Amino acid sequence: MIEVSGLVKDFGAHRVLDGIDLSVQRGEVIAMIGPSGSGKSTCLRCLNLLEAPSAGLLRVGDVTIDASRPVTRRQRLGFRRPLGMVFQSFNLFPHMTVLRNVSLAQERVLKRSRREADEISRQLLDRVGLGAKADQHPSRCSGGQQQRIAIARALALDPEVMLFDEPTSALDPELGLEVLNVMQELAAGGMTMIVVTHEMHFAESVSDRVLIMADGRIIEQGPSAEVMRNPQTERAQRFLSAVMNR
Amino acid sequence: MTGLLDFWNQSLPQLLTGFTLSLQVTGLSLALGIPLGLVLALTLQSASRWLRWPSLVMVEIGRGASILVLLQFVYFGLPSAGLTLSSFASAVAAFCWCTAAYTSEIIRAGLQSVHHGQSEAGEVLGLDPAEILRFVILPQGLPVCVPTLLGFSILMLQASSLAFVVALPELMSKAQLIGSNTFRYMPLFALTAILYAAVCIPATIVVGRLERRLSRHI
Ligand SMILES: Nc1ncnc2c1ncn2[C@@H]1O[C@H](COP(=O)(O)OP(=O)(O)OP(=O)(O)O)[C@@H](O)[C@H]1O
Ligand SMILES: [Mg+2]
Repeated sequence: MIEVSGLVKDFGAHRVLDGIDLSVQRGEVIAMIGPSGSGKSTCLRCLNLLEAPSAGLLRVGDVTIDASRPVTRRQRLGFRRPLGMVFQSFNLFPHMTVLRNVSLAQERVLKRSRREADEISRQLLDRVGLGAKADQHPSRCSGGQQQRIAIARALALDPEVMLFDEPTSALDPELGLEVLNVMQELAAGGMTMIVVTHEMHFAESVSDRVLIMADGRIIEQGPSAEVMRNPQTERAQRFLSAVMNR
Repeated sequence: MTGLLDFWNQSLPQLLTGFTLSLQVTGLSLALGIPLGLVLALTLQSASRWLRWPSLVMVEIGRGASILVLLQFVYFGLPSAGLTLSSFASAVAAFCWCTAAYTSEIIRAGLQSVHHGQSEAGEVLGLDPAEILRFVILPQGLPVCVPTLLGFSILMLQASSLAFVVALPELMSKAQLIGSNTFRYMPLFALTAILYAAVCIPATIVVGRLERRLSRHI
């Protein structure tokens, strides 16, 4: 489904991603963990071209982006089409009702009629347990509710892959749990997911594969339980023991 | 006291025709100048230098030259370039230019106050830049500007008195005219001040109300 090879990202003289290779199968759930500043967010943002990669090849479905060539707007749109993204800070549109938040892009991008879009939005909001909030503004919702709305908004475009950047980090543990439950259901439903997270429990028990990043590289990866319980490299051991003992 | 009221009564109709003209010039300049300011705010941030540079020149002249210079440039200067405008049209053109230049900055600041994550959210949803602007940035950024724009509009109404230099018979010109015939400057300008204040003070109150209302959802 996704194929990344030799992904490099420089910010000025600072190399933040230093040759990432990654392939993700359809239906796979991947947790990306690693110390702060290791480049997890940047990696995810390069994956949907919010940051322009400095070098490397990215493929999603049958669209390939070569960082050494200029990317046209159409290529970028086509490349992003199957990708849904959820941000740490939700980024809901505060001036619209919850329903409009979920419906807008369906109307503009998928050319659904407003009725059709609203109907789908209500179904999705029900699915994340927020049907009752449809006509409110996001500011009237808790953080956990806002993040679930953001998930519904991304799902409304029928993505094939969902990217999550620390979706629960801005939330109290209790509210984070609501969001994790929704994500777990998504995973169980067969969605392909890449999740940057500090939730070790999610990484270990929900994801199929864990990637550990440090200093812009993937230093270790493999089946979740194996990597989490029995890391091979010294750097990964140090990171895991630090977060486990917190 | 009755003398004063009689005098006011006599002068009021003339002053009112002048004031109507002041309001027309101001209203028209704002109605044309603010949308132009929005356009400039956008072209100033454009990636294309063919849009950016001319906009920058427009804005810098509009803000750098005083309104008096702009007015006289349009009214006395443009005819020698083959474009002759009436004093009303000159006043509108000059105030419109000034409005566009100042409001472009106000609007640019308002649009920049919208959190960057908002346009990123639009982008990952597949909206194109024009859609992001229309549905995400403008509806959040413009309300932020409204109080400042209204404040600016009040200043423009007061500044419209400068149009006397292009022989526009607006409120101040009328007052001057009556004054030079009657020499009763004191009560005359008091009445003139009341007329300006009658519009500006309620407008200021509205600005305050709006500021509170607009901060609701954010
Ligand atoms: N826009 C940017 N400009 C310059 N440097 C940046 C930019 N974005 C990120 N960086 C740098 O890139 C490095 C990796 O950042 P990134 O946000 O990807 O880390 P992270 O693994 O997501 O960390 P965290 O767990 O704290 O979110 C950091 O050193 C950061 O300072
Ligand atoms: Mg991060």
